[in-house]
Amino acid sequence: MAKVNPEFATEIKKYGAHDFNACFNCGNCTATCSLSDNTNSFPRKLVRYSVLGLESEIEASLDPWLCYYCGECSTTCPREANPGELMMSLRRWLTAKYDWTGLSGLLYKYLPFTISAFLATALAVILFAFSKSFEIETIMHFGHQFEMWAIISVFTIILIPNLARMWWFVILKPKIKVKFLTYVKGMQELFTHMFTQKRTLGCDDSQSRWLIHLIIVFGYLSLLFTTVVLDWFGTSSLFIILLGYAESIVLFTLTFIFVRGRIKKNKELNKFSQPSDWLFVIWLFLMAFSAFLVRIFIDLDLIETNLWLYLFHLTILVQWAVLIVPFGKWTHFLYRSFAMYFEKIKQTA
Amino acid sequence: MKERIGVYICHCGGNISDYVDVEEIGKMLKTDDGVVISKDVMFACADSNQKDMISDIKEYKLDAIVVASCSPKLHLHTFKNVADRAGLNPTNYVQVNIREQCSWPHSDKPREASVKAAGLIRAGIKRVAYSESLDNIEINVKKAVLVVGAGVSGMKAAIDLARLGNEVYLIEKDYFVGGHITQTENLFTTGQNGKEIVSRLYAELKSYNNITLFTGATVEKVSGSLGNFAVDVRVKPRFINGKADLQAVQNAMNDCTVLVDDDFNFGFTKRKAIYKNYPGALPDVPVVNADALRNEKDFLDKHASCLDLNQQDEILSLTAGSVLVTTGFDSYQPKDGEYGYKTFSNVVTLPELNRLIELNPEKLIYNNKPVKKIAFIYCVGNRQTKGENKYCSRQCCSSAINSSLQLADKYKGMAAFHLFRDIRTYGKQELMYEKSSKQGDIYIRFDEKEPPVVEQNGKSINIKVKDYLTSKKELEIEADLVVLVTGMVARDDSKQISEKFKIPIGTDKFFNEIHPKLKPVETVIKGVYIGGSCQGPKNISESIQSSLSAASKINALLKGGTVSLDPVIARVNNDACTWCGKCAEVCEYTAIKEIESGDKHIATVNKAICTGCGICAPVCPVNAIEIAQFTDNEIESMIDGFMEKIDLKVREKESESTEEVSGVKMKEYPQLWKNILGTMNGSKLTIPEIAEKIGVDKEIVTYHVMTMHKYNVVVTEGMDKKELYYYYKLKN
Repeated sequence: MAKVNPEFATEIKKYGAHDFNACFNCGNCTATCSLSDNTNSFPRKLVRYSVLGLESEIEASLDPWLCYYCGECSTTCPREANPGELMMSLRRWLTAKYDWTGLSGLLYKYLPFTISAFLATALAVILFAFSKSFEIETIMHFGHQFEMWAIISVFTIILIPNLARMWWFVILKPKIKVKFLTYVKGMQELFTHMFTQKRTLGCDDSQSRWLIHLIIVFGYLSLLFTTVVLDWFGTSSLFIILLGYAESIVLFTLTFIFVRGRIKKNKELNKFSQPSDWLFVIWLFLMAFSAFLVRIFIDLDLIETNLWLYLFHLTILVQWAVLIVPFGKWTHFLYRSFAMYFEKIKQTA
Repeated sequence: MKERIGVYICHCGGNISDYVDVEEIGKMLKTDDGVVISKDVMFACADSNQKDMISDIKEYKLDAIVVASCSPKLHLHTFKNVADRAGLNPTNYVQVNIREQCSWPHSDKPREASVKAAGLIRAGIKRVAYSESLDNIEINVKKAVLVVGAGVSGMKAAIDLARLGNEVYLIEKDYFVGGHITQTENLFTTGQNGKEIVSRLYAELKSYNNITLFTGATVEKVSGSLGNFAVDVRVKPRFINGKADLQAVQNAMNDCTVLVDDDFNFGFTKRKAIYKNYPGALPDVPVVNADALRNEKDFLDKHASCLDLNQQDEILSLTAGSVLVTTGFDSYQPKDGEYGYKTFSNVVTLPELNRLIELNPEKLIYNNKPVKKIAFIYCVGNRQTKGENKYCSRQCCSSAINSSLQLADKYKGMAAFHLFRDIRTYGKQELMYEKSSKQGDIYIRFDEKEPPVVEQNGKSINIKVKDYLTSKKELEIEADLVVLVTGMVARDDSKQISEKFKIPIGTDKFFNEIHPKLKPVETVIKGVYIGGSCQGPKNISESIQSSLSAASKINALLKGGTVSLDPVIARVNNDACTWCGKCAEVCEYTAIKEIESGDKHIATVNKAICTGCGICAPVCPVNAIEIAQFTDNEIESMIDGFMEKIDLKVREKESESTEEVSGVKMKEYPQLWKNILGTMNGSKLTIPEIAEKIGVDKEIVTYHVMTMHKYNVVVTEGMDKKELYYYYKLKN
C-alpha cells in the first residue's frame, strides 16, 4: 500500500519541475513518445507517481533514464503540464537520491550553495598556487598529478558507491532475483549504450543531436586520455600535440553549439535550463577552450609569463573534477548506460 | 351528418404519389356517400392549393373536409386554419396520414400501400361525416400566481411575475427566505456570498406592492383548477408580538440565555432560543423557539410586551390563477456509517464543510483540531447503479472543487485529495477544475465497484482507495477531514406537495414535467408549473432559468384574463348517467365530480381540468360518458369505412425512380423555363450567367435548372475555368 504524499510535488519542484499537477491523465504524452513501449510506458505513469508522491515507486523506476528528452510530450500536452521537464527533474532527483553524500541534492536545490562551492574551489586553487610561490613548473606538475588522482578517487569514493546504490534501489530493494550469469551477459548492453548512446536515435526529433553528442563524448574522453595519459601539456611529440589540438577544437566548437542552443531556447529540451545544465555545458566548453589556449601559450613560450591562464584552466578543471563530475550532470553518462544495463537484467530475470 | 364533404389527396411531390396511386384513389372516392369533390393535388400545403380549398369550400358549400397527406403533427393546424378562413368550423376537418403510414413504410409494396391508403381515407371520410362543430372552451382566469418556495428560483420568478403586473403570493416553509444558498459563503462561478444574493433579491421583492410574502407557511389544501385555484395556506407563528417594536425584540434576543442546536449550522454551533438563521437573515424579524422558552417564566414576564407564546397557526385562503412550484431539493443525507459518516468524528458532508469554512475565518478547525489535509469523496448518494439515486446531481463536482479552491485561498498550507468517479465540471466550470489541479490538488479516480474505504487512525483518518489512473494501485491517504460530496435528492415532503397539486413524481421522486425538451416547465395539471431543482438536480443558474421560463409561461397564460382550451374533453349524457362514481375513480386529474340534477345524482366534468385523455369513457357501465371528436359514432363509422371493399385499379409496376424518368410530360413548360431555354439557344451557359441574362435571382434559377436537368430538359457539359459551375445546354 503506497501512501499519497502531496509534499513530494513541492520537493520535485525544487529540481526544476513545474506545472505537472495540471495533468489530467489523458495519456497524450505516452502516446506521442517514440521511446515509450509496453514494458516501459512513460511519461504519464511518472507524472502520476509524482502527483501522488509515490517516492519508492519512482526511486525503483528506470524510466526517467530511458527518456532522452525530445520534448514531444511537452509540446503536445493539452494541459501544458510539461511532462518532459518533469522527466528531466526526476533524473536530477534520482541523481541526488543515488548520491550517498547528499551533496548532489544540495547543489541541485540551492543555487547559493552551488555558487559558494565553486568559489571555494577557485579560492583553494589560488591559495595552493600562492603556497607554491606561483612557480609554473610545480603547479603544472601538480595539475597533471591532480587529474589522475581525481579520476581514481572520484570513482572509488563517490561514483562506484553511487552506482551500487542505484543497483540497490532498482534491483535489490524491489527483490528482483537475478542470476550472476545475467549480470555478465548484460555487460554488452552496458558498454554499447555507454559509448554509442544509440537509444537517442529512437527519438523522433533529430539525428544531428545524437551525432553532435556522440562526437562530444568521444572528444571529451580522448582529450582526457591525451592530457592525463599522454601528458599533452608536457609532451614534445608532434603527433600528440596536434591530436590534442584537434580534440580540443572539436570539443569547444561543438559544446559552443549546445551552449548557444540553451541560450536561444531553440528546442523543447532547451527551454527550461537549470543552473546544473548551464554549468555542465559552459564548464565543458571552458575546459576545452582553456586547455587549447594553454597549449598554444606553451608552444609560443608565453605560458611562463602568463601563469594566470594556466591557473584559470586549473580552476575550471578542479571545479569540474570535484563538483560537476561526482555530484553534477556528468553522472548521466554512467546512470543512463547503467539504466539500460539494469533494464536488460530486469527483463531477462 | 355531413353530406357535402371535400377530399384532397396529396402527392407530396412524389413522396406519396411515387408509391400510392393517388389519382386512382381520388377517382374511386368520388362516388362515396357525401363526397362532393375528391381530387389529387401536388402539394396540399402549398399556398395555391390552400386558396383553391377555400374557394371550393365556398363554391360547393362544403360542410366537412378531409386531407390525406402527411402526419397531423406537421399540418393539422395548417388545414384547420384553412377551414377556419373559409368559414368552416375547424373541428369538421380530419387529416389522414398516408405518407408516414403508407407510402414511406410500404415503399416495397406500392399496391398494398395504395389499398391501405384508400381504406384510411375512406375511414376519415366516414368519421368526418359524424363530426360536430365545436368551439374552444373559454375560461376566466385570475391574474394571481401562487409561488411555493422562496429560494432563489421562487424569488426571481415572483419578482418577474409581479413586474409583469400579476398579483403574487410567495410562500416559504422556513421563517427566512433564500433557501440553501444562504448556507454558502462562496458560490461558483461568481464567488459571491449566497446571503448577498438573497439580500438583493429580497430588496427587489419588497419594492413590489403586488407581492405578498408568507414565511413559516405551507400549503394545506388545494382545490379548484386553472384560472381559479383555491389554496389554503398554514402560517406558523413567530411568537413575536406583531406590534412590538424591533428594538424591544432585539433586547429580548440579547437577553436570551437559553441555547439550542443551530440547525442552520448543522449543529456545529449553538444558537439562542430567539434567533435568526444568520445576522442578516430576512425578513428581519427573529423567531422564537417556543418549546425551549416555555419554562423560562421570568424571562417571558420580562419581555411579555414583545413575546407571545400563545400565538396559533393561521390558515389563510388564497385564490390564484396559476401555481408555480419551486420547492427545491434536500441535500443527500448519508446513512450512518456510509464512508464513516457519524461513526467517525472527522467525516462531514459538503454542505457541512461550507458552513465550517464560513464559521472559521482564520484557521480551519474541526473538533478542536486544525485541519490541513482534506479528502473529498465524490458522488455520495448519487449515480448509484444499484441504489435509489441513479442520476448525477450536476452541481456537486463544481461545488466541491469551488470549496477546495476556497480552502487554498482562505487558509495556508492546505492539501486536498479528490476521490472522484468522473469529474463533470461542464461549461465554464471546467476552468475551476483546471485551476484546482494546477494548484496541486490531487485527483484520484475510483470505480463504483471498488469504493474508497474510510478508517479511523488515532485522531486522523486513513482512506484506502484503488486509483484507476495508476492501474488500480492501492493508495493510502491520511486526512484530517473527510468531506462527502453529497448530491441532491427530492425534498422529503415532495410526496405531500405532489399529492396536493397532483403533480406526477418520477421514480427519482423529483417532480415531472410534461416533456423534458418541449414542455420543460409545464406539468400535466393545467396551470401548475414547476421551476428550479424540485424538478431534478440543477445549479443556481439553471434553477433560475427554469423558474423564469415558468414565470413567462404563466404570464402568457394569465395575461388576457381568459384562457382558450381545446374542446376535446369528456361529456356526460345527463339522461343516461346514474352516478356510479366509476368515472371519477379512474380520473387522474379529479376532473369529474358528482352533482345533483333534478331528482338524481349525475357526473359532471370540470372543463378546465379535463385533458380529454379518455380513460372515463370505457369504464362507464351505461355508456353515458364520451369524448368530443371521439364519439362512438365517429369511431364505429371509421371502422366500417375501413372494412368496406376497396375497388381500386392500381398500377402494378411503378417507375418512380427519378433516374429512369425519360422526359417530362408537360403540355407546356413554365414561363421561366421558356426564358431559360431562350437564353441558352444552343449555347452552353453556367447558372450565374443565365441568372444575369434573364435578370432572375440566382437561387431561383438554380432550383429550376436543377429540375430541368432532372427531367432531362437540359444536360451538363463540362465546368467553367475556375471549376466552380457546370455548363448547361439544351438536350438535343
